[in-house]
Amino acid sequence: MAVRLLEKSAPSAPVSVFAAVGAGSRGRVERLFYDPRLTRVLSVRQANVLLVAGSLRDEDHDDLRRLHDQMPPPRATVWWGSDPIFGFDDLTTIAVEDDPVAAIVAAHRALIMVERASEPDLLPNEPANPWRGEGPHGQGGKGMMGGTPYGRPMAMTNDDLRDGLALDAYTAPFGPFLPMLPPGLKLSLTLQGDVVQKAEVLRPPLAQHDDGPTRALRLRRVARLLRILGLDAHADRLQDASRASECGEEVDFAKLRRLVRWSGALAAIPPGLGVVDGRDVRSRMRRWLDELGVQRPDPADPASSEQPARLVDLLEGLEWTEAILVINSFDDKALLAMAPVEKEDGNAEKGEGEHHHHDHSSRDHHSAGHAMNHGGGGSA
Amino acid sequence: MIVLVAATVAALVRSARSPFAAPITEPQKVPFLGGGAPTTHAWQRYHVRYYPMTLLFIAFEMEMMFMYPWAVVFVEEGGKAMMEMGMFLAILSVGILYGWREGVFRWQ
Repeated sequence: MAVRLLEKSAPSAPVSVFAAVGAGSRGRVERLFYDPRLTRVLSVRQANVLLVAGSLRDEDHDDLRRLHDQMPPPRATVWWGSDPIFGFDDLTTIAVEDDPVAAIVAAHRALIMVERASEPDLLPNEPANPWRGEGPHGQGGKGMMGGTPYGRPMAMTNDDLRDGLALDAYTAPFGPFLPMLPPGLKLSLTLQGDVVQKAEVLRPPLAQHDDGPTRALRLRRVARLLRILGLDAHADRLQDASRASECGEEVDFAKLRRLVRWSGALAAIPPGLGVVDGRDVRSRMRRWLDELGVQRPDPADPASSEQPARLVDLLEGLEWTEAILVINSFDDKALLAMAPVEKEDGNAEKGEGEHHHHDHSSRDHHSAGHAMNHGGGGSA
Repeated sequence: MIVLVAATVAALVRSARSPFAAPITEPQKVPFLGGGAPTTHAWQRYHVRYYPMTLLFIAFEMEMMFMYPWAVVFVEEGGKAMMEMGMFLAILSVGILYGWREGVFRWQ
């Protein structure tokens, strides 16, 4: 009885979808999740359906395969305006112009009713970093911090930016499908706790050519920041207004502006964060708010210097939330100019094994400024 | 009894996964980083920022813990109890002074 009830109600529940966003499709993915039949989840581990929207770069393919395999079964993939990459079969492809919601819901329903088989792993079933134990207890090396337990080198000590306390700095790649980063942006962050010690751009964000109506674009931009600040309901309101203004409906911009002002979102952003050309994150958001209902395109920044600020310099020393706020406080064009690729991404190719953190002298690198060159990493 | 129930529930929760769920494959064990794979082991030591604050809290709390029983016997004991409390506070305040020097009172 109970099982049958569950069986009946499960397919009608909203589908948990993780969106891997490619070039030029950020806006339409955001519009898509306004549909109540879908829920956007922030980790692929919570998803049943992987939605791949827009075209991907070749170097992102490995990341997409890894992402797909992290999704727990039963799982399905839906391609929306993008070419399926090698390895996937049982394809569900939707053209850019079409609405994929029906296809996603159908795929989910088929998965639950066991009419459609769950997609198998694309990567071989072997550890990404095989166990290389050595030493008397198989711990992986000499001393407390040495060696490579579970196939990966240990994080090595580095001075903390704030008080110089030497504890472990952890380096990991983030992106290109991390939902809080702009699509395509892949960063290598060295973290101490949640403080960014060092940032490098591995891959630039994908161009979004958001050439829809500027009003809708501005609303979505503010909505993104609100979502990061944890004001989901406010973000939904702005998202809805953005959809309405695209459909040509009447939108009360003054009311929305008041809504955001009274939410305290501006006060929740720490002052002096990510200052470029005398503007911090808070004043950039205030400017976006002021321009909410304005039709004309973004004014060119008159004060912009000939040497554009580098995103990686802005991120150093910030906590994770602050860093994410800074990244999302720039429009796509500005971010693209600020995020030139400086380091080869060693993740796609294998052979990252012989790795930066082996030398103890890495703490000296820090005091030498941020020309910290991680061993075999590449040019800084 | 409570322990027994908790143990039973824990055993049930543990066993609930195995018969139905597919085995976890190696690619699924990789942590979610938005596509990338970690290159460094996850074991790491980082600075617990609230740690000095907890030490400070303990210093003040110990004071209070001793002061309650002390207040009960203070009238009977008189000057001797006063001396004892003075010594106790002196020792504790050395700790607080040390914390002050180390920057405990600066908010990070």
